[in-house]
Amino acid sequence: MTEQELDEMFSTAIEVAKEAGKVIRDGFYKEKTVDTKISAADLVTETDQAIEKMVHAMITKKFPDHRFIGEESTAESGEKHQLTDDPTWIIDPIDGTTNFVNHVQEVSFSLGVMVNKKTVIGVVYAPIKEEMFSARLGKGAYLNSEKLKASDITDLKEAVIIFEGGNSRDAKLLEEKVKNIHALIAHSRGIRAYGSAAVNLCHVAAGRGQGYVEYGLHIWDFIAGALIATEAGAVVLDPTGSDLDPLRQRVLCACSPEVAKALSQILTHIDTGYD
Amino acid sequence: MVVNTISDQDVEEMFELARAVALEAGQVIRENFYKDKVVDTKMSAADLVTETDQAIEKMVHTKILAKFPDHKFIGEESTHETHKHELTDDPTWIIDPIDGTTNFVNHIPEVCFSLGIMVNKQTVIGIVYAPIKEELYTAKLGQGSYLNGEKLQASKIKELKQAVILFEGGASRDEQILQDKLKNVHSLFTNARGVRSYGSGALSICNVAAGRGQAFFEYGLHIWDFTAGNLIASEAGAVVTDPSGAELNPLRRRVLVGCSAEVAQSLSKVLTHLDMGWD
Repeated sequence: MTEQELDEMFSTAIEVAKEAGKVIRDGFYKEKTVDTKISAADLVTETDQAIEKMVHAMITKKFPDHRFIGEESTAESGEKHQLTDDPTWIIDPIDGTTNFVNHVQEVSFSLGVMVNKKTVIGVVYAPIKEEMFSARLGKGAYLNSEKLKASDITDLKEAVIIFEGGNSRDAKLLEEKVKNIHALIAHSRGIRAYGSAAVNLCHVAAGRGQGYVEYGLHIWDFIAGALIATEAGAVVLDPTGSDLDPLRQRVLCACSPEVAKALSQILTHIDTGYD
Repeated sequence: MVVNTISDQDVEEMFELARAVALEAGQVIRENFYKDKVVDTKMSAADLVTETDQAIEKMVHTKILAKFPDHKFIGEESTHETHKHELTDDPTWIIDPIDGTTNFVNHIPEVCFSLGIMVNKQTVIGIVYAPIKEELYTAKLGQGSYLNGEKLQASKIKELKQAVILFEGGASRDEQILQDKLKNVHSLFTNARGVRSYGSGALSICNVAAGRGQAFFEYGLHIWDFTAGNLIASEAGAVVTDPSGAELNPLRRRVLVGCSAEVAQSLSKVLTHLDMGWD
């Protein structure tokens, strides 16, 4: 892939994000018709679906040979994904759909582009908060035009950790998640929860919080945020400490390897399968 | 609606000073936000205080005394473990110089200055200013509540199953207390649409007032954390009660704010109520 091609892809990614953001902003204060997916807490709206369709069309027009993985088209087809070396655009049209429905501001559009199974472009746009997070592999991470740097905290006891309840209402899964929240509160300076995985990763990238961990999320939730975080100096791993597997439905992000290690040791690791 | 005996003019005078000190306090917060902090701890390793907390409280106390020498003052940093507060009918300024001190230290933007004024044991003025987010919440009894001049309206949701609930982990690291709090978190996952946590009680209550989330509750916080926010929330149509459903007692160190009476009641039923003592 040439520099020029990557530049073009990045411009398109930003353009697409801005368009998606407009649609989110327009729909945010209206009443929504809501459907559910895996549980009563796993919401989808017409806006999710409309944005994904629009974005897919925009990308295919410019890059007809590239692949596309989207949350809503995956939900419809139920397919399992395979990552190839081809340029692959991975999108979550609305990360934080519950926030979107309940008028909580942490709603975002997330777009990651992978080439040769590596993330080269990451864009997360939170239009209600007017925050455009972006990163290109090797070129740093930005919030609007400000360069991002993760915290330099190395002691978990001084760290604030972000977590998510998630969409599942499976009793056993919830028990394990609550056990983890207990461990987080007991060992850290405190916990936060914003309702959007993409935003959470960007917060660690921006130094607004020192760690984030979630089990049961999907590649489209974290692929863009993970690049933004690593380009800001954070580490992104599998919660057990091994390398991140993008299809493994779990992620741990920390401002430093020390905080990552400490987190990994106190958590109960949950297996929710593969994308 | 209960009407306070204090005159509109007196309220206006107090409000003008309250707003001015809030903005000044916000300026001090903003100036220090990105610096590294020297941190002390209070009742646990997670209960932080900085010089900025103390400096702001001193400044605010001085300004209030200069204009209203007969008024009473309750501040977080000038309160000591052994000092139990009593609420009188006198105008009482209740302040938290920095609500969300952990956020302040860890560079998380949800930091605010909170000032509530009670007269005849009723809150007549509430101001919460979050300078990093540039959000100024204000309310006067009977006159609505506002965010940067825009009138606030809490959500109309009535079903807990459709509600997003805001909660706080809190500063205590006592194992029994944590266990009870986690039981509540579990109950929220099971009964509501989701949970959020921002690190500032005052801002969480303001979020409910603004319709960004449908309820907030906490056990173990203090009168200075919620006095202002509660007025802002009730003036936006939310209900404010003790978590058990009884009338709020401002010194009882716990609060439940619901966008509607129905959500408040349903939430109350699914929580384990903790007794965290008195202010």
